[in-house]
Amino acid sequence: MSLTRRIVFGRDPRRTAVRVLVLASLSFIIFKWVLIPIRAEGISMQPTYQSGSLNLVNRLAYKYRKPDRGDIVGIKLAGPHVLYVKRIIGLPGERVSIAQGQVYINGAPLDEPYVRNRRGWDIQEVTLTSREYFVIGDNRGMRAADHDFGRVDVSRILGRVIF
Amino acid sequence: MAVLLVLVMAGLLAWRSRETPDERAIRDRLDTLRAEVNSSTKDGLGTAVRAAQIGSYFTEDAVVELGEGSVPIKGRETLMGMVARLQPRTAAFRMDLDDVTIEIVSGGDTADVLLTASFVRRSISTGEESLDAREYALVMTKAGGSWQIARITAIDTFR
Repeated sequence: MSLTRRIVFGRDPRRTAVRVLVLASLSFIIFKWVLIPIRAEGISMQPTYQSGSLNLVNRLAYKYRKPDRGDIVGIKLAGPHVLYVKRIIGLPGERVSIAQGQVYINGAPLDEPYVRNRRGWDIQEVTLTSREYFVIGDNRGMRAADHDFGRVDVSRILGRVIF
Repeated sequence: MAVLLVLVMAGLLAWRSRETPDERAIRDRLDTLRAEVNSSTKDGLGTAVRAAQIGSYFTEDAVVELGEGSVPIKGRETLMGMVARLQPRTAAFRMDLDDVTIEIVSGGDTADVLLTASFVRRSISTGEESLDAREYALVMTKAGGSWQIARITAIDTFR
C-alpha cells in the first residue's frame, strides 16, 4: 500500500470506513438533536453575542434542571430552525418591571453586569405565571420598540446557549 | 454494527419524512409561493402580473392578521394591491419559510399550517442584512384540486 493511500485509508481501510461512518452518524445525531448550531443575527444580544457569531444550543440542558436567571436560551418560533436568543431575567411567579432601564424583580433592582448601555426603558410590572419566564436581550442601548422581549411559555425554550 | 447504524438512521429519516400527498402538495405550494415572492421584480414581469400570480395563492376572501396594532387585510384584491405597491422595494428582500408543520382537518379539504417566516432585508446603501422572523398560523383550503391560503394569523412569541 502506498504511503498516501495508507495516510488516507489507514492500515485497515475497512476499519477506517467503519470509524468514519460511526463518526459521521454520531455528528449527525448530536448536531441535529442535541447541540443545535445557530448563527446569531441582529444586535439585540450585544455585547455578549455579535451579529453573525456561531453558537450552540444544548437541548438537553433543561432535562434535569429548570432554566435559571442569567441563562441565555434559544426560544423557538414554529420549530427549532429559527430561534430567538435571549437572556432569562424573570422566573415563574416573579414580578418583573423595568423603570428607566433598570430591571426590578419583585420590587428589587436586578444586578446585570452584562448590560453595557441602557436607555430609559419603562415596562409596567407583570406577574409571571407558573409556566412563564421573562426573557430579554443584553443590548439595552437600542430602542425598546426595536427589541423583541417579554414573557414566554416554558415550552418555547429549546435549550441553553452554551457557546 | 455500522450497517445496523446506517439502517437505523435510514429508518429514522424515512419515518420523519413520511407525508400524505396533500401534505406534500401544500409544502410544494408554499415552496413555489416563496420562490414567487423572492423572484419579485428580478424576472422582468410587470408588477401587476406578479401581484396577480401571488394573489392566486390566496382565496378570494382571504384574511391576513398581522397582530396587535395592524388592521387585518381582507380579500385577495386588497392583498394584490398591497403586493403591487410593495414590489419596487422587494428587490432587496428575501423570504424563507422554515419549520412547516401541516395538519389536514375537516375531511381533507382544510389544513392548519404552522410555520416560521423569515424576512431578510438587505440595505441597498450598506449591503448589510437584517432578519425579521415571525411565527404564522395558516388555514389553507383545497378548491379544484389546488390548495389556497384562506387565513394568515401572526403569532406573538413574546407576551
